[in-house]
Amino acid sequence: MFFHVTLTLLGGFLQTVKLFVLTLVFSLPLGLVISFGSMSKISAIKAPVRFVIWVIRGTPLMLQLLVMYYGPGIMFHANVWGSGDSGRFVAALVAFVINYSCYFSEIYRGGIQSIPVGQYEAGKVLGMTKSQIFFKVVLLQVIKRIVPPISNEIITLVKDTSLARVIAVYEIIWEGQSFIKSAGIIWPLFYTGIFYLLFSGLLTILFGQIEKKLSYFR
Amino acid sequence: MIMLEVKNLKKSFSSTEVIHDISFSMDEGETVSIIGSSGSGKTTLLRCLNFLETPDGGVIKIRDDVLFDSNAEEPMSEEAARKKRLHFGMVFQSFNLFPQYTALENVTLAPSILAKGYGNPDITSIENRGRELLADMGLSDRMQNYPHELSGGQQQRVAIARALALNPDILCFDEPTSALDPELTGEVLRVIKDLAKNHTTMIIVTHEMSFARDVSDKVIFMDKGVIAEEGTPEEVIDNPKNERTIQFLSNYRNIQ
Repeated sequence: MFFHVTLTLLGGFLQTVKLFVLTLVFSLPLGLVISFGSMSKISAIKAPVRFVIWVIRGTPLMLQLLVMYYGPGIMFHANVWGSGDSGRFVAALVAFVINYSCYFSEIYRGGIQSIPVGQYEAGKVLGMTKSQIFFKVVLLQVIKRIVPPISNEIITLVKDTSLARVIAVYEIIWEGQSFIKSAGIIWPLFYTGIFYLLFSGLLTILFGQIEKKLSYFR
Repeated sequence: MIMLEVKNLKKSFSSTEVIHDISFSMDEGETVSIIGSSGSGKTTLLRCLNFLETPDGGVIKIRDDVLFDSNAEEPMSEEAARKKRLHFGMVFQSFNLFPQYTALENVTLAPSILAKGYGNPDITSIENRGRELLADMGLSDRMQNYPHELSGGQQQRVAIARALALNPDILCFDEPTSALDPELTGEVLRVIKDLAKNHTTMIIVTHEMSFARDVSDKVIFMDKGVIAEEGTPEEVIDNPKNERTIQFLSNYRNIQ
């Protein structure tokens, strides 16, 4: 039984990890683009971007998942997600990417705006271009400052992936819960908790290492 | 030989006129100190010279090269401003060293980037020059330290070396010792005095009156955005004629 449960949960965990990794791959860079939009001097860019961030951060991810999956079909009779498991997974991924890139963008914005203006000015008087100043002077300082809040957000994402079950993405908790009905046992649910703990523990160690790596300067 | 010529320079921030029609010139190898109370426009003047602010009016010339002319046909491009800034070096009140680079890297970063832009980075000679400059600043044993491991006075000396590494025509100091503990100002002022002895062309905004008197060939007293008085240190600091200069300097006498 234990072996069977482990195998089933691993299948669900694979979905969880897939959703987690792909969300990060897309939302970390997209968040940077959104943060530049939210800091734009052109209000025709800044205002709509800030509006979207407000909507996304101000409504539950659960709601966004449901609207993302059912919305296009019911409102526009468009089958954008394709059918079956893969269609639901893509819909969930898109909802996660949008949601997390908005959160990341605010962290980036805070990090970029916390760099003293003197750093930019020092770069300028030394004849550097804007992009040289960003990449050679500012970026590493921003990264150092945002590692703690980003790692916080990423560890939240590990657990948020479980929300994908509302559109029937068979992630690990879904699989664990299935044993309540099929076998009348609860321990597989606790077992899923161990997966989460190990995974987030691993990430905590990883981010601790990164913070340590960047501690050579202040 | 005239190094810098500033004519009818003006700068406002929204409705406040910070610099109201300033003209002055300085010769190669001269040290000019700018004194005056806070809000008199001293720092804004330096920032205009470095194109950290774009003047609203006036002309800035280095030798015979017009760097800025408000009557010019086209507004200055970012690229043009970048090149023109290199005529000036700038040392900030708060040092503004790059925290993730060592003292030596702070000095060599900009020259290396520029050299790469020209396509022939001779990194070894850039590094040697950086070491030399830091040695001149008395920092031979601090080259591999990061800014947070240095005292304020040491950081400011790295900043001076960093500005010198690009061989500017004129080195500008914006209150270089105002952020330092009193016991650390001496080491920075000494370095600036050495530069003056070697005829580095410098403009120094400062509140250190006795230093200004010792180091300057010319002193400019600014008040409410204009030059109220200018002349030799003996004229301006020891025998001021302008009512505002007398009043300003009397504050210092009362303290000392």
